[in-house]
Amino acid sequence: MSETATLACREQFATPEQQRETSSIGMWIFLASEIMMFGGLFVAYSVYRLSHPQAFQEASAHMDILLGSINSAILLTSSLSLAFAEHSAQAGSRNLLAIFLIATMLIGLAFLGIKFTEYYEHYQQHEAPGIWFDATGPHASGIQMFFVFYFVMTGLHAIHMIVGLGILFALLLRTMLGTFTAEYHSPILFGGLYWHFVDIIWIFLYAIFYLPGLHK
Amino acid sequence: MIEPLSRKSYTFAWLGLLGLVLLNTLIAFLNLGPWNMIIAVGIATVMASIVAGFLMHALYDSKVVRIVLAGGVIWFLIFVSLTLTDYMTRGWLGVPGK
Repeated sequence: MSETATLACREQFATPEQQRETSSIGMWIFLASEIMMFGGLFVAYSVYRLSHPQAFQEASAHMDILLGSINSAILLTSSLSLAFAEHSAQAGSRNLLAIFLIATMLIGLAFLGIKFTEYYEHYQQHEAPGIWFDATGPHASGIQMFFVFYFVMTGLHAIHMIVGLGILFALLLRTMLGTFTAEYHSPILFGGLYWHFVDIIWIFLYAIFYLPGLHK
Repeated sequence: MIEPLSRKSYTFAWLGLLGLVLLNTLIAFLNLGPWNMIIAVGIATVMASIVAGFLMHALYDSKVVRIVLAGGVIWFLIFVSLTLTDYMTRGWLGVPGK
């Protein structure tokens, strides 16, 4: 046996396809554990929403729907850009891959910029529980609870975005070093899985925090 | 090997997702009582399925991937339904002596 191990098929794997499938399953199991982490927060939110319905309804009207909707569109667009990056990687086009990775990172940064602008607005309006929170009326404590969930859940999401940017940056460096070819580019796909997953979390955050406050 | 989708299919998926964000936002302006939350989360679930199925290739990756995904989702559904069954029914029966 004089076959040399390559990046696309390391020595413990029989075929490149087996290696790709193994990595893919590993990534999905990690994402399933992420469902469990965010799942706990979503369930806690539901329990508090059911016990403080009016307070959560009132607090939800404090969300900036314009910035929230723009951010949804931005994040979906970053996923499209990353899908194009994967497509370029599969076609073996290194330049396009690098361009789409950079585009995805820039769009992701735009999302974070808008998110932190929103945080600053909430802070200015005294809606930061534990730091600077003023609310009056019968539902004040429920409103504060809503903002606790809002900051913890979107904050955890933002941390995931920052980690995702780090992953994309590492992939960009490896792209520039010429690691990825049409035969071997699975790290791009698995970095993409993570990014798209974070996108899914935002889709639900948008639905439970921004939308309920729109109707009067 | 995962067969890559064409850029056209990705673009259609993206347009569909943007359309669903718009639809979800417009519906949220109507007052439908408890249905508001159900519809909002329902449309979000459709969007999540599009992202998972096409952008994350779950529809045409190996079967084990779909089993892992189903495992995560079913675990979450059990978690939600058992927890909410408890919280939503706590006031239903009077407690003697209370």
